[in-house]
Amino acid sequence: MGRVLTMVLSDLKQRVRDFSVLVFAVLVPLALMFVMNLVLSGVADEGLQPITVAVSVPDGDELAAVVPHVLGEASLGELRVTVRDADPEEVRGFVDDGTAGLGVVVPADFTAALTSGTGPEVEIIRGDDSGIAGSVVTAIVDGTLAQLTAGTRAAVAAQGLGVPPEQLGALAQAVATEAPQVTWTEGRTASEQLGMGESIVAGQSGMFLLFTVGFGVLALVTERGQGTLGRLLSMPMKPELIVLAKGIVSFVLGILATTVLLVAGATFFEDVDFGSPVAVAALVVLVVAATTSIMFVIAKVARTAEQAGIAQAIVAVSLGMSGGAFFPVANTGWVGQLLSVNPVKAFTNGLGITAGGGGVGDLGPTALTMAVFTVACLALARVLPERKDVL
Amino acid sequence: MPTTVGTEAQNADARGGSATGSVEPVLVAEGLVRSFGSLRAVDGVSLRILPGETFGLLGPNGAGKTTVISMIAGLLQPDEGTVTVAGVPMGRSSVEAKGHIGLVPQDLAIYPELSARDNLQFFGKLQGMHGRPLRDRVAEVLDLVGLGDRAKEQSKKFSGGMKRRLNIGIGLLHQPDLLILDEPTVGVDPQSRNAILESVEALSGEGMAVLYTTHYMEEAERLCDRILILDSGQAQAEGTRDELIELTGDADRVHLSGSGDLAAAEGAVAGIPAVASVHRDPHALDLTVRGAPTAIALIVNAATGAGMKLSNVEIRRPDLESVFLHLTGKALRD
Repeated sequence: MGRVLTMVLSDLKQRVRDFSVLVFAVLVPLALMFVMNLVLSGVADEGLQPITVAVSVPDGDELAAVVPHVLGEASLGELRVTVRDADPEEVRGFVDDGTAGLGVVVPADFTAALTSGTGPEVEIIRGDDSGIAGSVVTAIVDGTLAQLTAGTRAAVAAQGLGVPPEQLGALAQAVATEAPQVTWTEGRTASEQLGMGESIVAGQSGMFLLFTVGFGVLALVTERGQGTLGRLLSMPMKPELIVLAKGIVSFVLGILATTVLLVAGATFFEDVDFGSPVAVAALVVLVVAATTSIMFVIAKVARTAEQAGIAQAIVAVSLGMSGGAFFPVANTGWVGQLLSVNPVKAFTNGLGITAGGGGVGDLGPTALTMAVFTVACLALARVLPERKDVL
Repeated sequence: MPTTVGTEAQNADARGGSATGSVEPVLVAEGLVRSFGSLRAVDGVSLRILPGETFGLLGPNGAGKTTVISMIAGLLQPDEGTVTVAGVPMGRSSVEAKGHIGLVPQDLAIYPELSARDNLQFFGKLQGMHGRPLRDRVAEVLDLVGLGDRAKEQSKKFSGGMKRRLNIGIGLLHQPDLLILDEPTVGVDPQSRNAILESVEALSGEGMAVLYTTHYMEEAERLCDRILILDSGQAQAEGTRDELIELTGDADRVHLSGSGDLAAAEGAVAGIPAVASVHRDPHALDLTVRGAPTAIALIVNAATGAGMKLSNVEIRRPDLESVFLHLTGKALRD
């Protein structure tokens, strides 16, 4: 291992001396993070604007009163909901003039319609600028109504089974008010947990990692061109040690650069907190291993340093974009599932979990994705034929 | 089959070694074959090198010299044939055999961001050297290649000649049994070139075997105890300089420069019995001629009579260029 250490230290010394790692692995991504944070911070805030909901409920209708009650309790995290009581005819006007972002009109005889099973019609009016908060509140109203319907039907069914009438109202009320209408579970649903600033830091760190790790493994291609690889192969050691040394250099540089970027992002940007350092460290190790493994594939197929550089840039930008380096990418649908195989995407998803309070034990699928990706790339690099001889 | 004149045992005699074979060859390469796709780059090349011997591999660009030394250095696996260095079989993973060789590639195989000293120390460590012996040897080699006063400078700031000298210094740092030099003077100014040649001459005096590839005939003549002439991947002849020149039948080399109808002139001079071979360039004819002083008048008459306008006529004693021309029908520079 002495020879491996010699090669690793020599490579690191050269990378430090030519400043390329410092520039491309730290300074450029940090600068880009600052710029993107400035440009996109407004976009981030827009989706989390406080919202006023104008609600009209019939007087004396206990079940209908549940709706404003639930909305009044809906403020959580960055979501701020203000409920404004209104008459039915006022609701649309409030929404039109922007006084309210959302309007809800619960019809008269709401409870009676529910218990009779005829299905009351609740009107929801969304303003043009209600944004993400409008969608969330709509979902809460929808969930509340579903809950009320279920509770009422449960009460009707109980009546059919002989439950005393004096207990039926309490039963319906309990179902409607005590069970949560919308469940907020932090730290379990990946990228949705990352704020815009966190998303930028995570995505940029992941994308530029693909450039950073190239300084190690892709040196194989550069050295093949300049002749030093031939000389290394003539040294009294197994050729595999050279490859191992380059892989270690990639790994070390990747760990250092990503750590610096995440720490700098958390320090300099507002509202950036990725959670458990141990879990984040585990993610960093996994993503560095995965991205390094891609470099072995590129080193195998590229004939020249120029080809390797172009391939690296294409891979970095493709995986970076689809991984959320420039904008958040949803996990839903088959496209989302496909993208989640991307190590940068898996990395941002993992940081979403840790940012939401998740620990190492919650990283199972994300860790598995990156581990499988790493093994697959290393296997591919192993079986691919050399594109060019050493000399 | 190549023409072989003399043996390594006879050459060992010449350098004071034993004629009975007690001197074991440092390098034995037998029947090396290597193809790249449909191109047979090396086709059945064999060679042996004794301790202290400088062995030249002479051939034009593309003759297969670098492929031969790549197989000898364990960088390429031969399709056929074997390589043994200091009695140890060579292959891509032959750690022990590689410890006996020092490779000086044609490319400048140095790290530009590292200083001359750091380059030497790096490769010295990979050769298994450490501590004071390494430091002392690095200082010694820096002086040997004339870089002692620039040891701490990054090698990217060196001139081409200085880089070449550092390239050689790395190869001989661990005092290998066999130093392989692949065209070490390509692209070097005359002064540095001379310094490199003097360094190589000094090495054989220290008992180091040297395998020297070049397409410069004068370098092979100056440095090499024995020479293998390689063309199109095949060994054409092997022997000492004098032995190889004997292959030409002691024919002189006649060089006719000029213009006009060189094709007709080529045909005319080829018909002269004293002319052994003719090679035509755009502006010259190269001939190997037995008894050139007496035949020169006839040759000049034939050439001018065929329409060639002569601007210069030279008669040269036979050299390796003549041998190559004689063996292959083409000039070494082609």
